[in-house]
Amino acid sequence: MLPAPFIAAVQQLIGAKRLLAEAADLQRYGVDRTTIWQPAPSAIALPGSVEEVQQLVLLANQYDVAVVPSGGRTGLSGGAVAKNGELVIALDRLNEVIEFNPIDRSVTVGAGMVTEALQNFAEQHGLYYPVDFASAGSSQIGGNIATNAGGIKVIRYGMTRDWVLGLKVVTGAGELLELNRGLLKNNTGYDLRHLFIGSEGTLGLICEATIKLARPPVDLAVLVLGVNDFPSIMTVLEKYTAAMDLTAFEFFSEAALCRVTEHTGLARPFESQAPFYALLEFEQGGDQLDTAMALFEQCLEAELVSDGVVSQSLSQAANLWKLREDISETLWHYKPYKNDISVKVSKMPDFILEVDALVAERYPSFEVVWYGHIGDGNLHLNILKPAELALEQFVAQCSSVSSEVSELVERYQGSISAEHGVGLLKKPYLKHSKSSEEIALMRAIRRSFDPKGILNPGKLFD
Amino acid sequence: MKVLVAVKRVVDYNVKVRAKADGSDVELNNVKMSINPFCEIAVEEAVRLKEKGVVTEIVAVSIGATQSQEQIRTALALGADRGILVEAEGRLEPLAIAKCLKAVVDKEQPQLVLLGKQAIDGDNNQTGQMLAALMGAGQATFASELTLDADGAKVTREVDGGLQTLALTLPAVVTTDLRLNEPRYASLPNIMKAKKKPLDVTNAAELGVDIAPRTEQLAVEPPAERAAGIKVADVGELLDKLKNEAKVI
Repeated sequence: MLPAPFIAAVQQLIGAKRLLAEAADLQRYGVDRTTIWQPAPSAIALPGSVEEVQQLVLLANQYDVAVVPSGGRTGLSGGAVAKNGELVIALDRLNEVIEFNPIDRSVTVGAGMVTEALQNFAEQHGLYYPVDFASAGSSQIGGNIATNAGGIKVIRYGMTRDWVLGLKVVTGAGELLELNRGLLKNNTGYDLRHLFIGSEGTLGLICEATIKLARPPVDLAVLVLGVNDFPSIMTVLEKYTAAMDLTAFEFFSEAALCRVTEHTGLARPFESQAPFYALLEFEQGGDQLDTAMALFEQCLEAELVSDGVVSQSLSQAANLWKLREDISETLWHYKPYKNDISVKVSKMPDFILEVDALVAERYPSFEVVWYGHIGDGNLHLNILKPAELALEQFVAQCSSVSSEVSELVERYQGSISAEHGVGLLKKPYLKHSKSSEEIALMRAIRRSFDPKGILNPGKLFD
Repeated sequence: MKVLVAVKRVVDYNVKVRAKADGSDVELNNVKMSINPFCEIAVEEAVRLKEKGVVTEIVAVSIGATQSQEQIRTALALGADRGILVEAEGRLEPLAIAKCLKAVVDKEQPQLVLLGKQAIDGDNNQTGQMLAALMGAGQATFASELTLDADGAKVTREVDGGLQTLALTLPAVVTTDLRLNEPRYASLPNIMKAKKKPLDVTNAAELGVDIAPRTEQLAVEPPAERAAGIKVADVGELLDKLKNEAKVI
């Protein structure tokens, strides 16, 4: 429980109405999209300004209260889970556009702004915010930055990190920092901004961000190809990326497509079946569509692909995208084990074969569903719970799958978390992607920003 | 049996349509253009009839600018056998389009003409009806179901309060509604094949049709912008505003 004087001070600071403690609020604000941990925060604070955030952190330091920063809570690694009576600080109310500058092509927004709202704001001004993923309608910019969110356009536009020009943060010690001032060029020693990107709320609370915007892509076409086997996907990728600037290159397996069409009623792209499908997106202006067609012919002749479609309208493009984007939502019905890993693009075929073999040998009743951002070397491994297996047993068995997959990832020099972050879920496996020296330095960095360790305790590492 | 399908190039259904700054017309510069969704349904229906073996040849016709060839190619990729473009610039009224189609019908002598019930740009819902009148043929509009054999067509229409089923002798004109079918995607192998299918280009003068508009477009303006909403403090203020400002209670 929170100390009474602390509660009184917080109520005084932000107003009693902005400190929530009803069961429904605790439930809602205490957990992200993970389902493993029971939310149990003490209270939820909804500050309305950066100054209030700073005062909250100072109070938390004074009274030794643990704080969990909270955005849209769409994370998949438990980074925003509050399960030990913490105070959740939700940035929901800092959701305004603070400054827009068309000459700099940048916009400063509150951390609580929903990703889609930023995308829409950019669009209204003839610009484009390219970081996009299925949960863009609920996730918030601050959370995106704290987890360095990736998504479906990384192959062309990079991760969230590539779009952050400046940050206003309150550190765990309560200092207010203005990092990088929205500059494109600023070589003045350590760039602390980048430490906060992907810090998962362990260094400070991100309150405001200056975001770079891009020229919007024009007349996007979506191609879905039926690919004959996994190694062929890589050859298709190589051929297309050598000739064109793709804005996306995604893949999914026949098992994923089956579940999605079954659950959503979406039409299959074409009648014939293929073991894997690749989804490509590009600007079709100039001769790009012809180039894409010519490459398809080559791939067909080389027996890499068996069939394919191209969108003829924006609604067709959107529906083809849904075949890929609705997979995650669809698979929730099967209480899946999810893993988000990356290896170098060139090593993917061997890696995927080894994982398939490992699961098939140890757990023959498990159904593996693969999809992901293959252009980025990012695989989403999903294992569906067999109907006859109790959830508890399934979770236990999957935990040993995680260990084995993580060892495999280490052997392939990959990452145990490509874009979802470490949070609570991947904490035991961090050692497979970071050396003990690196982890020791990370701890030291954390101590410099948050000496009392009040921010998001237990996340990333203990 | 030969079927003629009309396809129109329109601003894509998902594009936010904007008026030109001078208010003369809708802005079409750098705007995504696609096949009219109802026309796409007409093409799909023709292709399904061909797959059932009832139809032997599908001719896709478009009346419009040179770029309308793209939409004809889409129809060819979906399964039409050949295309005809009646090249015409400027604002085309439904009667002009119906007359061009009538001229093509005279040449091709199809047993069935399939059209979308309306195009999503003009929203006129006139071309099919006018064409049927010009042909002196039977018509069934807003088709949600279509069966066809050598003797005639049976069409289920969506009407207010239910469904109506009509029997038509051939030749006939049928316009398609949204629920008739769900169009397939254009497959890449079929798009490649479609490049080799014949596409004849003609124009209104060659067909002897006068396409000059009968009406003049005076202005195009966007709808008035809605005022932003406000937050009220309590029920009392809400009632007060509804009574004295909005004057609705």
